Amino acid sequence: METLKYIFKRILQTIPLLVMVSLISFFIIRLSPVDPLAELKLNPSISPETVQKEKERLGLDKPIIVQYGKWAISFVKGDLGVTSNGEKVSRKLQERIPYTLLLTSIVILLTWLVGVPLGIIAAVNWKTPFDRILTVLTSVGMAIPSFFFAVLLLMFAVKTGWFPIGGLTSPNFAEMNFGRKFLDISYHLILPVAVLFTISLAGLQRQMRANMLDVLDSDYVKFARAKGLSEFKVVYKHALRNAINPMITLLGFEFAGLLSGAALTEYVFNYPGLGTLILEAVMKSDINLVMASLMMGAVMLVAGNLIADILLVITDPRIRVKS
Amino acid sequence: MNWRVIRVILVILAVVLLLKGCIVKDIKPVDNSAITQKETVQNVEYPTPKNVEINGIDYLQSQAPVGKFGGELITSTIGQGPKTFNPFNSKDNISAAMSGIMYDGLLSTHPVTGQPVPRLAKSFEILPDGMTYIIKLRHGIKWSDGKPITADDVVFTWNDIIFAGLGDTSTRDSMVIDGKLPTVRKIDDYTVEFETPKPYAPFIRSLSASIAPKHVFAPAVKKGGAYFDSFLSTTTKPEDFVVSGAFKLKEYLPAQRVVYVRNPNYYEINTKDEKLPYLDKLVYLIVGDLNNEILKFEAGEIDVITLQGAKVARYKTLEPHSDYTLYNLGPATSTMYLSVNLNDRKNENNKYYVNPIKQKWFQDINFRRAVDLAIDRKNMVFNIANGIGTPLFTPESLNSIYLNKKLKPFDRNIQQAENYLKKSGFYRDKKGNLFDKDGHRVEFDLYTNAGNTEREAIGVMVKQDLEDLGMKVNFKPIEFNSLVNKLVSTFDWDMVIMGLTGSPLEPNSGKNVWMSDGRLHMFNMRTPNEGKKNILPWEKELDEMFTKGALATSFDDRKKYYDRYQEIIYNEKPMVYIYSPVIINAIRRKFKNIYPSSLNGLTHNLEEIYVEEK
Repeated sequence: METLKYIFKRILQTIPLLVMVSLISFFIIRLSPVDPLAELKLNPSISPETVQKEKERLGLDKPIIVQYGKWAISFVKGDLGVTSNGEKVSRKLQERIPYTLLLTSIVILLTWLVGVPLGIIAAVNWKTPFDRILTVLTSVGMAIPSFFFAVLLLMFAVKTGWFPIGGLTSPNFAEMNFGRKFLDISYHLILPVAVLFTISLAGLQRQMRANMLDVLDSDYVKFARAKGLSEFKVVYKHALRNAINPMITLLGFEFAGLLSGAALTEYVFNYPGLGTLILEAVMKSDINLVMASLMMGAVMLVAGNLIADILLVITDPRIRVKS
Repeated sequence: MNWRVIRVILVILAVVLLLKGCIVKDIKPVDNSAITQKETVQNVEYPTPKNVEINGIDYLQSQAPVGKFGGELITSTIGQGPKTFNPFNSKDNISAAMSGIMYDGLLSTHPVTGQPVPRLAKSFEILPDGMTYIIKLRHGIKWSDGKPITADDVVFTWNDIIFAGLGDTSTRDSMVIDGKLPTVRKIDDYTVEFETPKPYAPFIRSLSASIAPKHVFAPAVKKGGAYFDSFLSTTTKPEDFVVSGAFKLKEYLPAQRVVYVRNPNYYEINTKDEKLPYLDKLVYLIVGDLNNEILKFEAGEIDVITLQGAKVARYKTLEPHSDYTLYNLGPATSTMYLSVNLNDRKNENNKYYVNPIKQKWFQDINFRRAVDLAIDRKNMVFNIANGIGTPLFTPESLNSIYLNKKLKPFDRNIQQAENYLKKSGFYRDKKGNLFDKDGHRVEFDLYTNAGNTEREAIGVMVKQDLEDLGMKVNFKPIEFNSLVNKLVSTFDWDMVIMGLTGSPLEPNSGKNVWMSDGRLHMFNMRTPNEGKKNILPWEKELDEMFTKGALATSFDDRKKYYDRYQEIIYNEKPMVYIYSPVIINAIRRKFKNIYPSSLNGLTHNLEEIYVEEK
């Protein structure tokens, strides 16, 4: 009951936040000098009447505050509006979200499955050659910009011919049976996953290692050791449970990155996810699409934090006691 | 102790080696001019398809060599892919091309001569009055679902879709003559008559508009404009398309690809009387940007590519060891120009749009001549377009069928330019700075849109060239929208570098730029209230040429008017043309029946292209 009340309170708190985010983004986009109609105006074969009609259709003839009001009302009603081409925003997003989710969830799953154990092992074997090598490798991983790494891997794919040049499926995908479809997608996913994996693994492993080292140094671990518990029990029962809490907060942020974290890599790999869609929308000042994606980002961030907090309540008795 | 020294040395060594590895020997500059000169436009004789009648069916017969059936062609499109597959609702080029593949028009353009040739129509005839067009349709040809293509489809398309203003209205807008639309009438099941209110030559090009199957479109048309806008959108099931073109949609995956398959009912056959097209599949990969496209071509994922200037030299040297051939399609239809603001009027606040001191220079023909002579076009082609371009002196693009070939190119001539300036009383002080006869320093702004690297590079070179005459040029690349605003609303600019894409087939498409009250008459733009205020004599003549050119019907008559218009611009220089990039395409050698066309591109005859297996 307490938890439910807490969740409800948190959701209420997000409302003013979302209003602020939407107001700021809307005004920044509209006040930027990008005119969605500039191309039309400079096209010799388009009549001034058509330009005027487009202006009315996009609602650009009204003051910004009215435009915002209109957008906000339909947003609250659950209607994301239409893109500047007249397609439904919700449909456009729906087309892309599964692909982005596929990519990011594989990456998150992999990094957590690999990063957390690596962090623990490194901490337990502190200052051994194994730990040192890992530290160097993760430094490299953190230092490479994802964009640059993606381009390098693409060049590698061109030179060797071992991997496809971006995309998600082969042109003859439709004629494949299920097994081959699965293989085809996996084959296309290797490079983008490799890029995102390398970069996020580095951060996660270091974080886990640092947390673990902190905990291993604390008095209760020393006490547990002094009590004569086996090293396995000390590390995995006593230390790990305490070291994992900051990671849960981190998980909340990772959740927020599910939809937007891979944009650059998606762009380089020509991956049919949200990244390319939103980039183009921003360039063309396609307001409904940009707003929808920004709001989506904000909601995901809030939701991620909420989930992390709830998980913390479950894992950490100290928070429960306080509330 | 020694350990540390050794470690330091090792690290330094590693860094030095790494740096050494990064410094590649300077790549030898490749002289591209040799390539363009050696490789003039391939003048290919295209075997024009003929009409043949077999068992009462009027087929179109390809005269190209007979090929093998099967295989696929994979090409690409940059950006977000099509927004719709409805040919009457496509507002962007990609959507228009993607739907155009499926819906043929009555006429199309001959790839070499640029003249209209029959496509869905069997033949066409323009009556001597210049207003009546009689179109005969093919007997017995079918839509992809087996229903016959008849005059009803044509009349329906024109009356209920195009003239009714459904979807994209640009076709309709371009045909309004004195506020009236042409009319269309069914004579019998296979004959249609069009009539324009006045003789209006550009109309014939409109007949290449797609024809819709009435039995599919009629229910959608009945539901009105809003429904029509979402009809045959990218979410429509591929099975629901009923097409007349060589290929039919098979699959569309957003941001991934568009796949077409052969239309079994297509009306073109080869000389062995087998139904075309040869290819089983046509695939468009939707790629994010140019770099991705190039990588995909190099990895063999796509078969055709348009090469940018900088890449041509490398591809040319690789060509003999590769599986592709380069084709030079000639100059592009886009033109790059430097325009001078000739506006001499005041705005509603009674202030001049252009500073009166500057007005005097810009209005002076000698000043404009000097600017024209000072610009080093060859140098720009060499340095900016990597040699893959041609200097340009006329407003019509170099592949236009109306190009006035009498207007001769000329080289940079600073001496002559100085003479022209002297004639108008301009003089230079000891430092070489240019002053006008009233003692004002010649200084003005040159704009272009920021972000367009090509135009920015041209701007820098124009600035240098004009500074050789002692002018002070403030080159200001500004944001595209602000620039458009300056050009079409506030008129507060001096000189600008811009580009326009015209039609190589129809100069009338540029009338908005050249007519004195046109919406894009940038060099002397008038507000709607001003009408034709302060019209210059040569502007008046331009108006006349464009009015007469649209009304004349025979090609030769029209050519005379349009030759004169180009001559006026060439002499009066309100816009100084700079260069046209040359289009170079590469396609894998296994594809046969390739007839590159400067007007229609490399793969305009998709139905005739086949794959030769090795």
